[in-house]
Amino acid sequence: MTMNYYVRKAAFYLAALWAAVTLNFVIPRMLPGNPVDILMAKLQQRGGTVDPAARQAYETLLGTGGRDSVFHEYVTYLGNLLRGELGVSVSAFPAKVSDVIAGSLPWTIVLVGLSTLLSFLFGVGLGAVVGWKRGTWLDSLVPATTVLSAVPYFWLALILVALLSTGLGWFPLSGGYDVVLDPGWSAEFIGSAIYHGILPALTIVISSIGGWLLGMRNMMVSAMSEDYVLTARAKGLRDSRIMIRYAARNAVLPSVAGFAISLGFVVSGSIVTELVFSYPGIGSKLLQAVQNNDYALMQGIFLVITIAVLGANLVVDLLYGLIDARTRDRSAVA
Amino acid sequence: MTNLSPLTEVTPEVPRSRNRWRGLLPRWSPRLGAGLGLAGAIVLFGLIGPLLTSDPATIRDIGLTPPSGEHVLGTTVTGQDILAQLALSTRGSLQIGLLVGIMATLLSGVFGIAGAYAGGVVDEVFSLFSNVMLVIPGLPLVIVIAGFVPPDQRGTATISLVLAITGWAAAARVLRAQTLSLRNRDYVAAARVSGEKTWRVICVEILPNLLPILASQFVFAVVLAILSEAGLSFLGLGAANSSTLGTMLYYAQNGFALQREAWWWFVPPGLIIALFGGALALINFSIDEIINPKLRDRARRKRDVVAVLPETAAAEQDAVLTVKNLNVVYQADTPVHAVKDVSLTLRRGEILGLAGESGCGKTTLAYAINRLHRPPAEVTSGSVVFHDRDGEDIDVLALAPEELRAFRWVKLSMVFQGAMNSLNPVTPVRAQLQDVLRTHRSDMSTSDREQQCVEVFRLVGIDPERLGSYPHELSGGMRQRVMIATALLLDPQVMIMDEPTTALDVLVQREILNEIRRLRDELSFAVVFITHDLPLLLELSDRIAVMRDGEVIEYSTAEDLYLRPQHPYTRQLLASFPSLTGERGALIP
Amino acid sequence: MTTLEVRGLTKTFHKLCAVDDVSFTLTPGRTVALVGESGSGKSTIARMIARLVRPTSGEIVLTGQDGEPVPQRKYRDHVQMIFQDPFASLNPFHTVEHHLARPLRLHGRSRAEVPHLLERVSLTPDFAHRRPHELSGGQRQRVAIARALAPGAKVIVADEPVSMLDVSIRLGVLKLLARLQREENLAVLYITHDLATARHFSDEVLVMHRGRIVERGDSDDVLTRPEDPYTRRLAAAAPDPETRFSSARFSRGGPS
Repeated sequence: MTMNYYVRKAAFYLAALWAAVTLNFVIPRMLPGNPVDILMAKLQQRGGTVDPAARQAYETLLGTGGRDSVFHEYVTYLGNLLRGELGVSVSAFPAKVSDVIAGSLPWTIVLVGLSTLLSFLFGVGLGAVVGWKRGTWLDSLVPATTVLSAVPYFWLALILVALLSTGLGWFPLSGGYDVVLDPGWSAEFIGSAIYHGILPALTIVISSIGGWLLGMRNMMVSAMSEDYVLTARAKGLRDSRIMIRYAARNAVLPSVAGFAISLGFVVSGSIVTELVFSYPGIGSKLLQAVQNNDYALMQGIFLVITIAVLGANLVVDLLYGLIDARTRDRSAVA
Repeated sequence: MTNLSPLTEVTPEVPRSRNRWRGLLPRWSPRLGAGLGLAGAIVLFGLIGPLLTSDPATIRDIGLTPPSGEHVLGTTVTGQDILAQLALSTRGSLQIGLLVGIMATLLSGVFGIAGAYAGGVVDEVFSLFSNVMLVIPGLPLVIVIAGFVPPDQRGTATISLVLAITGWAAAARVLRAQTLSLRNRDYVAAARVSGEKTWRVICVEILPNLLPILASQFVFAVVLAILSEAGLSFLGLGAANSSTLGTMLYYAQNGFALQREAWWWFVPPGLIIALFGGALALINFSIDEIINPKLRDRARRKRDVVAVLPETAAAEQDAVLTVKNLNVVYQADTPVHAVKDVSLTLRRGEILGLAGESGCGKTTLAYAINRLHRPPAEVTSGSVVFHDRDGEDIDVLALAPEELRAFRWVKLSMVFQGAMNSLNPVTPVRAQLQDVLRTHRSDMSTSDREQQCVEVFRLVGIDPERLGSYPHELSGGMRQRVMIATALLLDPQVMIMDEPTTALDVLVQREILNEIRRLRDELSFAVVFITHDLPLLLELSDRIAVMRDGEVIEYSTAEDLYLRPQHPYTRQLLASFPSLTGERGALIP
Repeated sequence: MTTLEVRGLTKTFHKLCAVDDVSFTLTPGRTVALVGESGSGKSTIARMIARLVRPTSGEIVLTGQDGEPVPQRKYRDHVQMIFQDPFASLNPFHTVEHHLARPLRLHGRSRAEVPHLLERVSLTPDFAHRRPHELSGGQRQRVAIARALAPGAKVIVADEPVSMLDVSIRLGVLKLLARLQREENLAVLYITHDLATARHFSDEVLVMHRGRIVERGDSDDVLTRPEDPYTRRLAAAAPDPETRFSSARFSRGGPS
C-alpha cells in the first residue's frame, strides 16, 4: 500500500508534465500569427544566418504550417526536448535558449524558493498562534494580512522601492548584484546579491504571507474543537504542547496539501516583481523574450518554470505522505 | 455525530423564518459592513465616475502636476487628469473581473460539481484535468499565450477567456470536494428514491447548499482576475486599447513616475486594487463563517464566577468526589442554564451512572467537573471537591491553571465517546501515551515509560506491538481500549467515561463493558459512566442519577431505580427500552 | 397487493463481498426485520432495494396487485425508503412542504395532499412551512416517513429509522410505523441492530453476519431461542438488567 501513494503521485506528475509539454507544443500552432517568419526576420536583423537549418529548428518548435505532419513535428519536438535542445534565442543572439535559462534560473530559484519558504514558515507559525489565541487582539491581524495579499505584487514592489530605496536610500533600486563585481563565489559578491535580494524577497513574503496565515488560522480554529484536543486538555498536557503537537500538527496538513495552489500564485507574482527590480532572474528573461518575440526563449522558460513548479509540488506531496500516515494507506485518487 | 463539544447539547430556539435564503446570508458584522461598503463605493466609482469626470485622454501641457484643486489627483506626464483615468480604469478592471469571475465559476462548476456528481470515470478524468491545470503555473502560461497573439488581436474578450481558462482549477477542486460530500448525503439519496431526475437533483437539492462556496469562489475568482489582468497589463500584454488599472500602472512605470517621485500617478491605481481585493476578502470572511460555523466570532472567555460555598456538611464517608449545587450556564444572547443545582457524591471504587437524553446537560456536567467546559459555558456557582487518597481535599474549581493541569489525568482521567476522534490521527498511539508520562512523570526514564505503556496495553488486552500503530490502523473497539489504557496510565482515582461504548457494535460494547468492570474490580478506581442507554447503566452501575433539562431528577441505587422508579420521567425512560426477554406484542398499538 | 421478492442478491465492493446470496420476500401486512451489526451488509441491501446501489448479481422482483410484475419505471411508485439519520435525510435548504410535494408531483398526485400526509404521521398541517432545522429529531423522522408514503408506496424499507433519535421518542416513531403498516397493509423491511425492537415490531427476523443470512424465522422464536452461535452471542450481548435484579424482584416483590 505504501508504494501505491508514491507511484500514484509520480504518475500524476508525469501526466502533468506531459500536459505542459504538449500545451507548449499546441499553443503556437493554435494561435493566430506566423511566429516562424517573425523569428526569421528578427534573426536576420541580428545578423544571424538564415539558413534552412535554423528555419527548420524553429519550425519544429512552432509549426511548419502544414508541411510536415503534426505527429512528425511532435515526435521531433519531444526528441529535441529530451536532448535539451530548445533552439537559439533571438533576443540574446547567438546564445542558446538553454544557456540563457541556465544563467538566470539560479537567481529565481534562490529568490522565490527562499522567500516562499520564509513566508510559509512565518505565515503558518503566525496563523497557528492567531488561531490558538482566538478572541484576543491578534484576531485583527487576519483582515490586515488579507488586505496585503490582495495587493498586486508589482505595485507593492513599486511602493517599497519608492519608500525604502528612493526615499530612505536603504536598499538598491534594482538589479541582482552590484554590477562592478564579477559574479562568482566571493564573499563580496554573495553579500551584494543578498543585499540586492532583500527588497524583492520582502515583496514576495509580504504579499504571500496573508494567504498562509488565514488558511492556517481557520484550520487551527477547526482543529481546536476536535476531540483529540479536548482529550489532550483532559490529559493535563501543557498548552504549548497541545497547541503544537495536537492542534497545529493537524491544522498544517491542508496548508501543505494546498501548497500547489499557493505556489502558482507566488511564481506568477514574482515574475512581475522581477521586472520592477530588473532582477536577473527567469521572470525578467521571460518578459524580455515576449517583448522581442523571442518565441523559442519564451517556450523554453515556460517549460522550465512549469517543471520547477511541478518538482516543488512533487517534493511537497512526498513530504505530505511522510507527515500524514493516513494518505499512504488510502487508495484514493490523486 | 461524535462531536463532543458541549455546545451541541444545547438546542437553541430557532426563530421561525419562512425565507429559505436567510440561512444562506452572511451574519451581519462590522467586517461585513466595511467590506460591502468599500466594495460598493469602488463599484459606484467605476460606474458613475467616468460620467462625472473630464475626458481622461485630453492632453495638457501641465505634465506631472501634483494634486491640486483643479486636478484632485494631479496629472500624468502628458498632463492627463489622473482622477478621470482612475475612474475609467476602475470600470475596465471591474468589467474584466466580473467577466472572468463568471466564466471561471461556470468552468469550475462544470468540472467540479458535474464531475463529482457523475462519479466514476467522468469524475476521475475531470479531477485529473483540474489537478493538472492547477499545478501548471497560470501567469507564465497566460504570458506565453498573450505573447503569441499579435497585439491587434488581443481584445478584452480574448484576455478574459485566457484568464478564465487558467484560473478555474482551484475552485473546481474545492467544489468537487464539497459536492462529493453532498452527493452522499441522505437527502440526495432520498430525492433519487422519490424519482427525481439527475439534473433536478443537482440543481434543486445540491446546488443551493453549494451557494456559499460558489459565492466565495466567485469572489475569489474576481479578485484573482483583477490582479492577473493588472499584472498582464503592467507587462504590456493586456488587452489592446483597454483602460484598466494595470494599463495605468504600465504607463506610470514607463513614464518614470517612480523615478520622478510622482506618487499620485502610481499609488492610486494600486490602492484601488488593494482596497477592492481587501473588501472582497472581508466579505469572504463572512461567507466562510456560513460554510464553517466554527469560525464565527466568539465571546472572550470570562473567568468563572464561582461563589465558593463553605463546606457546611462533612463529605460523605468514603467519597472521592463531591459535587455540590453546581450550576453551568451557556452565556448566549439568551443564557441557557445547562446544569441546574446538581449535587452528586461519587464513592471510592463505585460506578456512578449518569443517564439522560441529548441536551439534558450530562456531558456539560462531566466537563465542568474537570473544568473542560469552554466558553460560552460558565460555572456560575457550586463546588467540586476531590477527596484525595491521602486525605487532602482539593477544591477543583479553585485550582490555579498550573495546579489544574497537574490535577487532570493524575487524579481524574477521562474516556470520550468517539475514540476515533479522541486520538490524534497523525501520531502513533505510543506518542499519545508517552505524552501523559512525559508531562506528569517527567522524572521517569525512557525505558520505564515504555514499560509502563506496555503494561497498560496488556492490562486492557491489546498486544503491546500495537503501540506503534496509527489510530486509523485500529478498529473502533481497539481504539476505545487504547483510550482506556491511556486513562489508566497514572493510576487515577476517578475515571469519567462519556458514552464510551455508544459508537460501538453490541458485541464490542459487551467486551468493553466487561473490561471496564474487571479493571474497576482490580484497580478500584471510581467511574462516572455517562450514557443514554439506561439498561446498560442498570446492569453496570452501583448508583444512577437521571438527568433531564439540567437537573438530576432521580438519584438512587440501580436496584431501586429499576424496581422502584419514583419520577415519571424515569419510568418513561425505563419503558422506552423494550426487553428482549419479556412479553411480546404489548407495544404494538 | 404489492409483493417484493429478493432472490440471490449479491453485492461486491472492490472484491469484498458485502452481501452474499441473500433471498427473502416482503409481503403486504408483514414486517421483516433485518438484524445485524454495522458492516454486516444490511444497509447495502436497503440501498439495493431502493435502487441506489446496483446489485452485482441476483434479482429484485416486484409483483403488483394484479399478479403481474411491476414495470421498471413504476418501481418507485411502489417502493420507498426511510433513512437512518433524520438530520441528514432532509435538505436543510427546503421546507417540509417541498419534501412532500415533490414526491407527490413526481408520482402524479396533487400537492394538496400535503396536509393530509402530515396528519397521517401525527403532525399538524402548519409544519408544511417549516424548515428542517426548526424540527426536533422525532418530527424530522415523521416528515421522512410521510415522504416515503407520498408516492403511495406499498413497500417500505426502513433503514435504522430510530437509532439516531432520543430514546424516549423511539418507541413513538416505531409505533407510528406499525400503525401505518397495519392501516395501509404495507410490506415493511425493518433494518436494525437492536434485537429487542426487532422482536417487538416484526413478524419475521433475518439475522445477518458478514453479508450472509445466518438465521431466519419467526421473530419470537429466533430471538428468544436462537440456534445459530452468532445470534446467540448477539442476544447475550444486549444489556439486560432483568437478570441482575430478578432475584431481588422475587425476594422483595416486583414493581407496581
